[in-house]
Amino acid sequence: MSETPSVLVLGGGSTGCGIARDLAMRGVDVTLVEKGNLTHGTTGRMHGLLHSGGRYAVSDQASAEECIEENRVLRRIASHCVEMTGGLFVQRPEDDDEYFEEKLRGCRECGIPAEVLSAEEAREIEPYLADDIQRAIRVPDGAVDPFRLCVANAADAIDHGARVETHAEVTDVLVEEGEVVGVEVEHASGGGSADGLDSFVHGEPGETSELYADYVVNATGAWAGQIGEMAGVEVAVRPSKGVMTIMNVRQVDTVINRCRPKGDADIVVPHETTCILGTTDEEVEDPEDYPEEGWEVDLMIDTLSELVPILSEARTIRSFWGVRPLYEPPEVGSEDPTDITRDFFLLDHAERDGLPGMASIVGGKLTTYRMMAEDIADHVCETLGVDAACRTAEEPLPGSADFSVLREWMDEFGLRSPVGLRSAERLGSRVDEVLGEWDGPNPTVCECEAVTRAEINDAISQSGTELNAVRIRTRASMGNCQGAFCCHRIANELVPEYDESTAREALDDLYQERWKGERHALWGEQLSQAMLKHHLHATTMNRDGDPAATEGTVDFDAFDAGRAEGPADASTGDRREDAARGVVDGDS
Amino acid sequence: MSDAESPQTTESIEPNEQRASPDPDFEPVSVFDDDSTMDLRPGADNCYKCSVCDTTCPVAEVDDDFPGPKFQGPEQWRLKRKDEGEIDDSIMSCSNCMRCDDACPSSVPLSQMHNAARGEYVDEQMDKLSVEYVRNRVLANYRTSAWFASKVPRLANFAMNFGPARWLMEKAMGVTSEREFPAFAAQTFREWWRERGGADASRENARAARERRGEAVDAEKKVAYFHGCYSNYNTPEVAKALVRVFESFGYEIVAPEQRCSGTPMFANGMLADAERAAEVNVSSFADLVERGYDAVASCTSCSMALKQEYPELFDIDGIDEVAENTFEALEYLRIQEDLEGQIAEASVEEQAFAYHAPCHARNQGVDRQAIELFRDLDGVVVEDVGDSCSGISGTYGWKEEKYETSMKIGGDMFEHMHDAAGDVGMTECPTCAMQMEHGTGYEIKHPLQLLEEALC
Amino acid sequence: MAIREDVLVVGGGIAGATAALAAAETGAQVRLLSHKKSTLRQASGLIDVLGAVGDNGTEVEPSGLVADPFEAVERLPNSHPYRVVGAAGIRDGLRVFDEAVGDAYAGTHTDRNALVLTHGGTVKPTARYPESVAPGLASAAEKTLLVGFAGLTDFDAPVAASHLDAAGVPFEVDGATVPFPVEFRDDALTTRLAKALDTDESGARRGLTDAVADHLDGHERVGFPAMLGDDDRREVRAELEDRLGAAVFEIPTGPPSLLGLRLEDLLFDALDEAGVRLSSGNPAVGYEAADGRIESVLVDRRGREVPYAADEFVLATGGLVGKGIDSDRESVSEPVFDCHVPHPEDRYDWSEPAAFGAHEFARFGVVPDGDLRPTDGSGDADFENLRAAGGVLGGADTAREKSAAGVSIATGAYAGRRAGESVTGREAEEATR
Repeated sequence: MSETPSVLVLGGGSTGCGIARDLAMRGVDVTLVEKGNLTHGTTGRMHGLLHSGGRYAVSDQASAEECIEENRVLRRIASHCVEMTGGLFVQRPEDDDEYFEEKLRGCRECGIPAEVLSAEEAREIEPYLADDIQRAIRVPDGAVDPFRLCVANAADAIDHGARVETHAEVTDVLVEEGEVVGVEVEHASGGGSADGLDSFVHGEPGETSELYADYVVNATGAWAGQIGEMAGVEVAVRPSKGVMTIMNVRQVDTVINRCRPKGDADIVVPHETTCILGTTDEEVEDPEDYPEEGWEVDLMIDTLSELVPILSEARTIRSFWGVRPLYEPPEVGSEDPTDITRDFFLLDHAERDGLPGMASIVGGKLTTYRMMAEDIADHVCETLGVDAACRTAEEPLPGSADFSVLREWMDEFGLRSPVGLRSAERLGSRVDEVLGEWDGPNPTVCECEAVTRAEINDAISQSGTELNAVRIRTRASMGNCQGAFCCHRIANELVPEYDESTAREALDDLYQERWKGERHALWGEQLSQAMLKHHLHATTMNRDGDPAATEGTVDFDAFDAGRAEGPADASTGDRREDAARGVVDGDS
Repeated sequence: MSDAESPQTTESIEPNEQRASPDPDFEPVSVFDDDSTMDLRPGADNCYKCSVCDTTCPVAEVDDDFPGPKFQGPEQWRLKRKDEGEIDDSIMSCSNCMRCDDACPSSVPLSQMHNAARGEYVDEQMDKLSVEYVRNRVLANYRTSAWFASKVPRLANFAMNFGPARWLMEKAMGVTSEREFPAFAAQTFREWWRERGGADASRENARAARERRGEAVDAEKKVAYFHGCYSNYNTPEVAKALVRVFESFGYEIVAPEQRCSGTPMFANGMLADAERAAEVNVSSFADLVERGYDAVASCTSCSMALKQEYPELFDIDGIDEVAENTFEALEYLRIQEDLEGQIAEASVEEQAFAYHAPCHARNQGVDRQAIELFRDLDGVVVEDVGDSCSGISGTYGWKEEKYETSMKIGGDMFEHMHDAAGDVGMTECPTCAMQMEHGTGYEIKHPLQLLEEALC
Repeated sequence: MAIREDVLVVGGGIAGATAALAAAETGAQVRLLSHKKSTLRQASGLIDVLGAVGDNGTEVEPSGLVADPFEAVERLPNSHPYRVVGAAGIRDGLRVFDEAVGDAYAGTHTDRNALVLTHGGTVKPTARYPESVAPGLASAAEKTLLVGFAGLTDFDAPVAASHLDAAGVPFEVDGATVPFPVEFRDDALTTRLAKALDTDESGARRGLTDAVADHLDGHERVGFPAMLGDDDRREVRAELEDRLGAAVFEIPTGPPSLLGLRLEDLLFDALDEAGVRLSSGNPAVGYEAADGRIESVLVDRRGREVPYAADEFVLATGGLVGKGIDSDRESVSEPVFDCHVPHPEDRYDWSEPAAFGAHEFARFGVVPDGDLRPTDGSGDADFENLRAAGGVLGGADTAREKSAAGVSIATGAYAGRRAGESVTGREAEEATR
């Protein structure tokens, strides 16, 4: 064992990044590998609820208690990722009275502040709630930006000496003499940053490398079973998919839960400029290949309209699906995935399978990511003999330190007030560094989400040419036009740091990624929006017939070259054109 | 100035009885008590960011401090949190011309968003003791000043344009000294109307006209006239023209109790003031509409307020019925009568007009009617001076800090007026008329005056 | 009924304007009814007739930029609106357009498409282009400088120049970014910039040429994003050319499009000149019909419906963008006359997984008969006196084909002329009787 013990963390979601940060802060030499970009898996595909614990207050009180504890911690250490919206459990006439009382009692038993509101009081807070609701329980639910949270953990891990490697897929777990000693990864392109400016991509595309460490932590969530298989152990994760539908605006500013035992489509989370409707719970075989269907979207809209009727006519801008990494000890054997606990489990493969050198962490939820990370970091430190205490509950994440929203962002940075407010909300205490130190004009690049050139460039400096990574850092292209007007503007910012063809490739990837989710919202206003985008990109810009992107060359001489002087022959073109044709014989 | 000094509502003449004046309480009250009525974020659902609104904004074209209607409307509302008070102060640069409403292919409620944001800004972010606030409040309540002036029109005409007084107004109040205050008529329209015999006389005139026209003598042709402040105090000749033209078509006219339409108050974010005025106007006209009257207005901003801004911003009993049954005067005749046929047979002395369509006429779809109608009138050339905004937008161009912008916006219109054949201007909007006169020195007429000349 | 015309055109975009002009040519009294500003202000201002077509009809091969649109029409599927009006219809549409805009547009001298530079750095085939765009055609081998403004994110001149280079244009091209000559806030609208050049505010024109001069290195022409003035644009461009000693051209942009805005102005001036009556600001929401004929269109005047009567009607309300075609989660519809709009039952079949795929939604619209009359599901005309033009017609992916304006003027001219003729023709008949 080397002097500074080394640990490999597999998975760049909230748990993996949280573990990397925790271990790095304890002085461990950490490397994190992720097959896509950060948040690529489940973290980037959730509804953004910061649980108060209320949702589990009846069915799973242990989880509920952890939630309220971590809810308080995150408000402290991740203030720029969290919006304390408050939450309501709303009872409709057909919902059971007894369950309502049970919920209230459960909240109180778990130490979750809860008060009962009359229908009138609830509607005063949220005027779009249905007229016939009965009453509600108010709890401290909130909204959390999983992208920002995850990226901030990774950034802080790096600040503490960790190495983060994205676009590096684990292709094998290296086992030597009955002990896990490392992994083999295959590097993919992070968007073409060959010059190493991308802080997260270190290998050449297509290259494989073997990474060795004193300990390996499998934090790959729904993919944990696949990693387990490579190591020869069984990790029976039960991936369960859920749909989330994004509304164009915030119809509510409070998390709205349906107060009934369990069911699909029972939550609306106000998230940044949007509301997210969720969700379903259906077990799937493969966390990467499962059907995404229209009826699931319809179910969200139709069912949640019972709570918030305006949703039935409101515009949705896209839908996405996430896969929960559910886990239960094999002996429990729940049939229905909704019955599976949301608690997390640390599987010590030395103890469980006689395979030292690796542990897996499964189950759990974003709200408790830090606690999970602490548990596993404790376990790792104990195994490796590191004597250092966890500090992640006290030390604020980068961006959340000494942050006050009371400043006059607008005047300070020459921004209109809503642009300044939203930028400051995203950047937290980094706002001075990002906006204050920007030199030159700072126009708004993404108007829907009020993202300025300075913020885009900051994100590019962190994540290189992968514009999806820029997107999750800034929210650029996540508004109602879904990138119709800003994708090419964002790509333009890559040049001259990167060359034009790299920027063009990155742009095509971003177009495609935006389209993927927007397809689930193509009717009414969003279909009109999509048609406008189609015209803008295909007609006005001729992106689909771009000669630079195709094999064939254009015979420029076959086209009108403009009228020189004097009258022209109306049938064949003009003299200049004819002259040109005489000289050059095209490219053929 | 306080509401205690504001004029008693014009005494009721007919047909509805005098109502108690609304609460004279001066303190601006929040009209945003009820959050649900003012949460306009769902309106942003219609916006697909095409920026057509921006291309029609006359302010953004000359003033880069104003970021344009798309930002001010759907973008700002979408980015807003319900309880987050801050509205960008550039909202005060919007002149409320409402051209963006007319532009938006997706029917985003832009002017409603602007009005609500402006109201919120004035309410929550503007210093109520500032010169700007007091000045805006005085300008918005033009009717109050006009009521005083009309009592002593000659003195008022002198005093309001007296050099040193104007210098002081600019320095102390921020009211530009570049403009001349409009002259007050020696006799207001309502004084004339009363003297003429009010509704009874109108009924007689209308019956006579129907008889002459071969229509049933007791035909149900009844209109309630919203004359507004300007044609009452400053240009009663426009109001008189309306009366004579409508009577000649056999319409009985009533001139019910009314206050300012609220247009200048919307533009200054004084929504509480506007709501008080609207309450009086709606209750007054709702009764009449219920009894089969249609409401007509000669000022396009007044008809705009009744048709669109009232129902968008306020919740008053009968407001939708009033909105549905309010018409611009020419528009009404065009729908109800064979106006074209009569014009084709009429003739007037040879004259040429440079016509400017007010922005608020554009919004109601009546911006072309004067041109089309008078095209067939013998002896007359009416030339459209283009679709530019006059730039005054009610009280906007009276503000010292906005004067220059206002004149820049109006530049295109002045140029086109000079290029046009006529040297008399024509428009439906009294403040556009003010600007046209200010920029060219032309006399300005209302289409109703030409109609009167042709048909009466 | 007080408001009555021979021909009522519903929709104020390029199809409606062309229809009204063509109807007026027949001597009919025409009214154009529009609700809001047209989608021309979102479009590039170019008149594309046909720029891409695949061998199997709708499948467009990206490399297949079409040089001769008239020859390529033959390769379109039978459901395409061009197959109804034919090459002669396209020529007639172009004639109406050319007469309406006069020398403000170029391209009349040839049948061939021109390749115009786009603000995304590609080239695009088009049939007519504003005269300010003409000096920048890609087939003219002249050394070119593209100029962008530092605060303008929509057009990045160096990126566009590299992109054009990659597209193999037959000339040397460079890009330069300069500050706009007058200091405005970073979010100043493009109309603000255009106005400053229009009025030469603070010596804007000289300031601009001074900034560009540093980058001139034997360039024969200089391209700017299309915001070089408004009313006085010719003067602006002439002054820039004079000072730079090079040809100056504009590059069409996306929304807000000043070229589109100018085109809208040109068309409305032409309508005015042709004596077409214009009513705008209120939407058409329904109709009254008897015996298979429409008698009037109902216009919603803020709650009160006012009938606009006519003998013949043209539906030119646009497609999904112009709101002439509407949709919800279950179906696609035409909201004014409730004409039949065919569409796959499952909304997931309305689009393709690839962003630039051959989306079915792009072809949504009414199905015309041989006289451009919308038909019901079984192929019969809905109304004897209703024709459709422009984006509301289905059967063409005008975005991928680069044919949107062309389909609009060709079908607009056809529908308008047929409507006008059937009125004046009937009147002539009555007179002889």
